Amino acid sequence: MAQEVLLNVENLVVSFDTDRGKITPVNGVSFQVKRGKTLAIVGESGCGKSVTSLSIMGLIPGANGKIEGGAIEYDGQDLLKFSGTQMRKLRGDKIAMIFQEPMTALNPVYTIGNQIMEVYKLHREMSKKEAFDHALAMLEKVKIPDPKQRMREYPHQLSGGMRQRVMIAMSLACNPDVLIADEPTTALDVTIQAQVLDLMKDLQTDLGTSVIFITHDLGVVAEVADDVVVMYAGDIIERGTVFDIFKDPKHPYTQGLLDSLPKSSDTKNEELQAIKGMVPSLFDLPQGCRFKDRCALAEEACGESSPELEKFSDTHEAACFVTSRNNAA
Amino acid sequence: MSTQVANNSLGRRALQKLLRQKLTVICFVVIIIYLSIALLGALNLLPDFQARVGESYEPPSLSIAKIFGTDIFGRSVLFKLLAGTKTAISIGFLVTSIAVPIGITLGSLAGYYGGKIDGFVVWLFSVIVSVPYLLMVIAISYVLGKGMLSMCIAMGSIGWVGLCRLIRAEFLKHKEREYVLAARLLGANDYNLIFKQILPNVLHLAIITASLQVLGAIKSEVILTYLGVGVQDGSSWGSMISDATGELVNGHWWPLAGVVITMFFIIYALNVVGDALRDALDPKLVD
Repeated sequence: MAQEVLLNVENLVVSFDTDRGKITPVNGVSFQVKRGKTLAIVGESGCGKSVTSLSIMGLIPGANGKIEGGAIEYDGQDLLKFSGTQMRKLRGDKIAMIFQEPMTALNPVYTIGNQIMEVYKLHREMSKKEAFDHALAMLEKVKIPDPKQRMREYPHQLSGGMRQRVMIAMSLACNPDVLIADEPTTALDVTIQAQVLDLMKDLQTDLGTSVIFITHDLGVVAEVADDVVVMYAGDIIERGTVFDIFKDPKHPYTQGLLDSLPKSSDTKNEELQAIKGMVPSLFDLPQGCRFKDRCALAEEACGESSPELEKFSDTHEAACFVTSRNNAA
Repeated sequence: MSTQVANNSLGRRALQKLLRQKLTVICFVVIIIYLSIALLGALNLLPDFQARVGESYEPPSLSIAKIFGTDIFGRSVLFKLLAGTKTAISIGFLVTSIAVPIGITLGSLAGYYGGKIDGFVVWLFSVIVSVPYLLMVIAISYVLGKGMLSMCIAMGSIGWVGLCRLIRAEFLKHKEREYVLAARLLGANDYNLIFKQILPNVLHLAIITASLQVLGAIKSEVILTYLGVGVQDGSSWGSMISDATGELVNGHWWPLAGVVITMFFIIYALNVVGDALRDALDPKLVD
């Protein structure tokens, strides 16, 4: 069944000019987000997940970032050709984003109600009364107890979980088509994480929002994602449906990530596997495959050229010489 | 309990904090008394300080007009002090109302946009502060002509520098904060980010600086008038101190004593309230 592609990122390259030279945290990334579905982008810190999402939001070029090439198509329009004002109107209305730190993401001097109402003021011509009613309805939607009371409270009076709910309410206020969630549960307690994830899933089904879920937590991915993209040091190294990735990971890095998860079926008291080494510095990337220094399967060929994504099935691709050859054999 | 918390706006909480300290409340009252005197002066309800109430240089005695004695022309020192209060307070507020808007606007724009705008603003205030304050004020007020208004314009056009630096630094810090990014991600424009998101977070600094600016302006007026620039009709504390230099040698201490006492209370009160405002309004110290 063909699904409508809502957001298409094509060969995106983003570079930053720094004092120590030019780095390319996103190096030719492509993925599609389907309407109403969830795409998870998985990877370690510094692999380019957040830069990718900020590019979609139009906040790069920032201080010294630059989009070198590629295209970001939303609903058939190339966002990279949009003017600053066009992009601003899109932000928060059609494409919204929440991120990791709910503790600091709300403005400390305004009440919760004010901050949600502000979103309506920015994007919808609404009277104060209407905005208030809409904001209240949003707080009810994100299941904040006693919403009328909370409307009048300040951020510091709320817990982390509550604040993240408020952030979700703000970002979904205008019913956006795409929600980018950049590690939205990382800073929360595990029990609260589960509640917030459930809430996001409910709202997604309710509103038909497409979600890009950025995380390093594979447990969360299994719970929320339809499709998964695995990133490593600015490259996409594997992509597939959530079943492809969890049942039959092709890339040694994905395999390593999965091995490093504790399994409830483990009865043998085995030690958890960790991936050796560190993510290479963007200033000093190895030749060839960027993962080769940490890879158990690495061969000489891996140091010579970078592997391209290769199809294993209609939905499943990975970029690794060794797996491709083994698969062909 | 929770209802009570919810009804506490930030402003109201700051006010409660202020009123908890007895000294602050007393100083508040002192400031209000001075303000009322200034208001009476503006409405021409103060007794005429030019009128003779007795002989030349009568020492203090127990009638209202002569409680601080009389000056060389037999005018009441107290009435002169009251007229001086009006002058001082008007100068304080006039200077502040010139300096604070300039400081806030330039500081916010420089801090928020950075780059060329920041470069220009930094250049501008560096040039201004590189000339000694008094020389600069005297130079400007000579150009504009003597008198209270030109002196206020001179002080105001220099007095914004401190606040501008402060606001600029705060903006540099705050524009990287996540709540600003969050607002940007929700589609806020520059105007909204500067004036609605960041400015309310740094405004407490402006309020505190403004309260100290009033103080600074009052003191500067005294110095400038003493030096011969500024208020010329004798209705100022500065001119009274200036006159007192000759009088003191002859043993006429009361005009100077009167000025010093009057100045002491308002300056002390403004200092205490300025400090208390800093404590009460700083969001970091809330709760």
